[in-house]
Amino acid sequence: MRYGLIFLFFFFVIGQANSQLKNDRCFVCHGVKNFGVIEQGRFKSLYVSREEFESSVHSKFLCVACHVDVRVIPHFTKPKKIHCLQCHFEGNTVGAPVTAKPEKYKESVHSRAIARGKNAPDCKDCHTVHYVKKPEDPSSSVYKTKIPELCGRCHQTVRDEYYSSIHWAGIQRGVLESAVCSDCHREHDILPPEDPRSSLNPKNVVGTCDKCHSDVKLMKRVGVPVKNPEAYKESFHGIALKFGVVRAANCASCHEYHDVLPSRDPKSPIHPANLAKTCGKCHPRANENVAKGKFHILPGEKEAGIVYYVYTFFKWFTLIVLAGLFTHIVLDLIGHFRRKRKSVE
Amino acid sequence: METGKKILRFSLSWRIQHFLLMVSVILLIITGFALRYHDTWLGRFLIFIEGGFEARGTIHRISAILLFITGIYHLIYIIFTSEGRHEFIELLPRKKDFKDFVESFRYDIGKNERPPMYGRYSYKEKIQYWAFFIFFLIMTLSGFVLWFHNYLFGIFPKWFFDLSQALHSATATLIITFLVLWHLYLVHLSPGNFPMNSSFWHGYVSEEWLKENHYLEYLDIKNKESER
Repeated sequence: MRYGLIFLFFFFVIGQANSQLKNDRCFVCHGVKNFGVIEQGRFKSLYVSREEFESSVHSKFLCVACHVDVRVIPHFTKPKKIHCLQCHFEGNTVGAPVTAKPEKYKESVHSRAIARGKNAPDCKDCHTVHYVKKPEDPSSSVYKTKIPELCGRCHQTVRDEYYSSIHWAGIQRGVLESAVCSDCHREHDILPPEDPRSSLNPKNVVGTCDKCHSDVKLMKRVGVPVKNPEAYKESFHGIALKFGVVRAANCASCHEYHDVLPSRDPKSPIHPANLAKTCGKCHPRANENVAKGKFHILPGEKEAGIVYYVYTFFKWFTLIVLAGLFTHIVLDLIGHFRRKRKSVE
Repeated sequence: METGKKILRFSLSWRIQHFLLMVSVILLIITGFALRYHDTWLGRFLIFIEGGFEARGTIHRISAILLFITGIYHLIYIIFTSEGRHEFIELLPRKKDFKDFVESFRYDIGKNERPPMYGRYSYKEKIQYWAFFIFFLIMTLSGFVLWFHNYLFGIFPKWFFDLSQALHSATATLIITFLVLWHLYLVHLSPGNFPMNSSFWHGYVSEEWLKENHYLEYLDIKNKESER
């Protein structure tokens, strides 16, 4: 009998949860636009857009599935802070997808700054709290075109630099393959350039730019020469860098990074008028002479001009010398062995 | 070993010059090859045994200085010593060399019964000398431009450095081709010299060898001996 009563009580509790804690009940208050509280003398909105929430990846979930400490509605205490990893952990029962991203994030500069007690973003600052959407969704907070603004909420100077770059111009023209912050800095495992694993480490910069700039189709579509990275890798700078001489120039040394501009732009560090200054960063005697010539061209390409003709001449000359000497040697040997045979006879 | 008289063919100075040239060129080729073929296993291996990328460059430059000193030494030798002047005159190309080339060709295909009679240096050896003369000029000049690019940036246009680089690497390929095919054949693999003509080290050749390969030089030496 006593056990029966406890059993009944449980049914009652579960029944109440099911009938009373549906999202409808939450939105009675939280769905009102100017619903909020005064906290430390400032108004804090507690409004959640129902429409936006219901188009998010969590639309099927109950509010209380995350806010687990809300058991009766209306609740009179402030719910505890919740964290994404409440669900997104290995072996969770609610079917929350588990990826390596939180683990990657833990290594990042942002996570480490939080650990030192500094103000830095974690999941919710980029993905939002209630409106988490897939990055492919144009209304997502992490949709490609929104990323510069998102990062720029903290990194304002960099954002403004970026907004003058050709990459942002590309995004604005609708070329979504153009680079935003996360394409170079990565999304979750953002590491400082000093870290050898960082995409911005001098040894990895070429690979970072190369991801897009060696894509033949893409580069053809946007009208950017695709052979440049390849020619760079064969240059003195490229080879030295490959063997760990990090003081050798990488892409960013000359092209800058946030405000990358094509050479036709007079503001670009690789505009012919600015080259003396750009090369002069490492080569102190550089003057306007450094602009008299071509860049990122292999000697075997016709655009290389005189270098191409010298290269081609030597290629053929070497082959002719090779063939000539070889013939001479073979004739010598044939003669030698014939005479030897004769003398034996 | 063959019995019979030994004749001193190369003076000590000649041998020192050859030795310096040999050492510096071999070092230059090994370190240069490593850079040119840096993305092959052999290139990576060579860079590794040369002590890394920057050490490779240092060895290359030290060897370049050695080669340059050898060149200066040779220049002084052929201008200021009577022996050197004599050797240089012997090395100058002349009509007979072209005739010898044709004769040797005819001899090889069986049209001639006897080989052409060579003087101190046959046309084969002259090709070698003059090829290296030109290689030396191209390589030291272009190498100088590349080494001191930081000082020359204000003087020459950018394409000049690209040109030097292309010349330096193309000529290097040519030198390797030439050395492997021609020099290796002449002094190592050719019948009569196999496995190695060691006169570069001690300077001596056998009378027999000289008679067979440089008949006119042989006669010259014999005449001088009988004059005494």
